[in-house]
Amino acid sequence: MKKILSILLWGVLAATGASALSAVALDRGESVNAVWLVTAALTVYFIAYRYYSRFIADRVLQLDDTRQTPALRHNDGMDYVPTNKWVLYGHHFAAIAGAGPLVGPVLAAQMGYLPGTLWILVGVVIAGAVQDFIVLFVSVRRDGKSLGEMIKVELGPVPGSLALVGVLAIMIIILAVLSLVVVKALTASPWGVFTIAATMPIALLMGVYMRFIRPGRVGEASLFGVVLLLAALFYGQTVAHDPTLAPLFTMTGPQLAWALIIYGAVASSLPVWLMLAPRDYLSTFLKVGTIIALAIGIYVVAPPLVMPPVTRFIDGSGPVFSGKLFPFLFITIACGSVSGFHALISSGTTPKMIEKESHMRLIGFGGMLTESFVAIMALTAACILQPGIYFAMNAPAAVIGTTAANAALVISNWGFTITPEMITQAAQDIGENSILSRAGGAPTLAVGMAQILGQAIGGKSMEAIWYHFAILFEALFILTAVDAGTRVGRFMIQDMLGHVYRPLGNTQWLPANMIGTGLCVAAWGYFLYQGVVDPLGGINTLWQLFGVGNQMLAGIALILCTSVLVKMKRERYVWVTLVPTAWLLVTTMTAGVQKIFHSDPRIGFLALAHKFSDAATQGTVLAPAKSLAEMQRVAFNNYLDAAICGVFVMLVCAMCVFAIKVCLDALRQAKPTAMETPLVRVQELPI
Amino acid sequence: MNTALAGRMIRLRSRLIEAAGQVRRAYLQIFGIPDYERYLAHVAAHHPGEAPLSRRDFSSRAIDRKYCRAGPKCC
Repeated sequence: MKKILSILLWGVLAATGASALSAVALDRGESVNAVWLVTAALTVYFIAYRYYSRFIADRVLQLDDTRQTPALRHNDGMDYVPTNKWVLYGHHFAAIAGAGPLVGPVLAAQMGYLPGTLWILVGVVIAGAVQDFIVLFVSVRRDGKSLGEMIKVELGPVPGSLALVGVLAIMIIILAVLSLVVVKALTASPWGVFTIAATMPIALLMGVYMRFIRPGRVGEASLFGVVLLLAALFYGQTVAHDPTLAPLFTMTGPQLAWALIIYGAVASSLPVWLMLAPRDYLSTFLKVGTIIALAIGIYVVAPPLVMPPVTRFIDGSGPVFSGKLFPFLFITIACGSVSGFHALISSGTTPKMIEKESHMRLIGFGGMLTESFVAIMALTAACILQPGIYFAMNAPAAVIGTTAANAALVISNWGFTITPEMITQAAQDIGENSILSRAGGAPTLAVGMAQILGQAIGGKSMEAIWYHFAILFEALFILTAVDAGTRVGRFMIQDMLGHVYRPLGNTQWLPANMIGTGLCVAAWGYFLYQGVVDPLGGINTLWQLFGVGNQMLAGIALILCTSVLVKMKRERYVWVTLVPTAWLLVTTMTAGVQKIFHSDPRIGFLALAHKFSDAATQGTVLAPAKSLAEMQRVAFNNYLDAAICGVFVMLVCAMCVFAIKVCLDALRQAKPTAMETPLVRVQELPI
Repeated sequence: MNTALAGRMIRLRSRLIEAAGQVRRAYLQIFGIPDYERYLAHVAAHHPGEAPLSRRDFSSRAIDRKYCRAGPKCC
C-alpha cells in the first residue's frame, strides 16, 4: 500500500514537472507565468534528490551509518559537534549562498530565460550537487580536511600547491568583482550610500555589546541591529531628498572604489569580534529572510515573464557580455549550477558537524539544490522586467550613452521597444536619479525584487523602499565577504611569503600582517579600480574571468572526486564525476582559450590589447579611451587579464595530468588505495 | 480531577519549554552562533570536574576561531 502511494505521488510530481517544463520551454507566442518556471525547477529538484542522490549515496559512495564521523570522533562541543541534519542543512545553505547565484543568472538573462534555466537545472543535478555532495563525503572520510590538504594527500604535493595558487587567484578576482558590483549599485545613489555606511557603526555597536555589555548575547544584539538597520533604510530616503545631506553621500565610481579599498584594508585588520562577526550575523539573517520572502512573493504575485525565452544575443553580440552561448553561458552562470567555491565550504566547517554519513545526502546534495533555487529566482526577477529596462540597466555607457533619450533609441533599435519616459519613470519609482548602465546584477535584481515584493506588500509607493532594502541586503553580505575574503587571502599570501622569508609567515607579527593585508588589498583593489574606470563596463571582463576561475576550481574539485572514486576501486561508477568533469573542462578550456586568443577584440583579451597598443604606437586615440596614456593602460590591463586566464587554463591542464597518472597507478593496484581515516564503528566509541 | 488536569498542564508546560529550547538551539546552529549552553552540557557530560570557560571567554574564543584560519596559534 505504501509503495503504491509512493509511486502515485512521484508519478504526479513527475507529470507536474513535465507540464511545467513544457509550459516554460514551448513558446506559444504568449508570455509564460513565472510560477511555471519556479514549479518546473522545484519538481526537477525533488525528482533528482529522490532518485539520483539516493543512487549516489547507496551505490557510488556506499554511505555507512555505523562508521563514526569526525564530529563523533572529536566531539569537543565547539568545532566538532554532531548536529541535527535539518539544522546542518540550514547552516550549510547559509554558508554557501552568496552573491554568485544572484549575479550570474541576471547577466545571462540577456540571452533570454530559457538557456539560463536549462543550464541551471541540468548543471546543478549533473555537476553542482554531485560536486558538493562528494567533496563533503571525501572530507568527512578524512577527518574534515580542507580541499587543498586532500589534494596534497591524494594527488601529491605539487598539485596541492598548484591548487592553492589557483584558490588565491580566484579569491582576488572574486573580491574585485564583488566590490565592483557594490560600486555599480551605489554610484550617485545617496540613499544607498547612506544605508550601507550606516551598517558600519551599527555593526561596531553590536560588536561592543556582545563583547563587553552582554557577552555572548548574539540574539539581543542582532535584534537591535536589525531595528537600527531598518531605521537607517527609512531615514536614507530623507537623506536623499535633503539638499545639504544628499551631496555628502553622492559619490562617483572612483571615489567609491577608493572607499571600498580603504574599507577592505581597515576592516580586515580590526579584531573579528568588533565588526566582522556582528555584520556576518546581520547579513545571514537578512539573506535567509529575503530569499524566503522572494520565494513566497513569486507565488503570491505570480508575475509573467516579459523577457523572450531566447533573444538574438545568443549569437555573441550581447551588450551585457560578449561571446556566444557556448561556452560563455556556462561560465557566466557559475554558482547556481556548479561552483568551485562550494568545494571550499564542503571541506570546511560542515564536515566537522556531520552526525551520520547518510545525512550528507540532504546536506551536500540538497543544500546545493536549494542554492540553485536561489539562482532560478534571481533569473525570474530579471526576466519579469521589461527587456528595455533590463538592457538600459545592464548595457555599458559606451554602447547606450549616458542619457535616457539615447539609451531608449539604441535599445529600441535592438527590437526591445522602450521610451525615454519609461526609463526615467523606472528610476523615479525606485527613488534613484538614473538606472542607466548599472551592470553587475545587484541593481537589476533589486528592481525585480522591488516589483515582486512591492506588489505583495505596500504597492507602488513602497517600491523605492523595497529596492533599497534589496541593495542593502546584497551590499551587506558582499561587504562581509570582502572583509572575510581579505583575511583569508592575507593568510594565504603570508603562508606563501613564509616559504621565502620565514618571519613574513608569522601571523602574530604586525609588520608581516600589514604586508600580507596590503598585498591582498592592492591585488583586488587594482582590478576593482580598473573595472570602475573601464568605459566598457568592467563587469564585462571581470565576471568572465571570475567565471573561468570558479569553474576551473570546480573542475579541480571534481578531478579530486574522480581520483578518489578510482582509488576506492569504484571505477564502475566513475562516470558520475567524470561526466561533469569533462563538461567543465570542455567549457572552461574553450572559454579560457577564446578569452585569450579570440580574434574579435570584444571577446579576446590579446586582440583588444593589440588593437589599442597598435593604435597607440601610431599615435591615434581610439574611443572610449581619451588619451594615449589611457590607451596604454587598456592594452596593459588586457595583457594582464590574458595572463591570468592563461594561468587558470594551465593549472587545470596540469591537474589533469597529475590525476591521470594517479588514476592509472590506482587501477593497477588490486586493493583500494584511497587515504581514508581508518574505520571505527559507532558502537566502539568510548562513551 | 483537578490534580489530573494540573498534572497534564505541568507536563504540557515542560514539553513546551523543551520544544522552545530545541527551536532556539536549531536557530543558533543554523546561523553559526556560539551555543554556550550546549558547551556547558558537553563539559558536564564528557569532562566532569573540569571548570568550563566563562560565557565571555567561550564566545570570544568561538568567534576568533570561526574567522581566523591562520594556524595552530589562532585556531
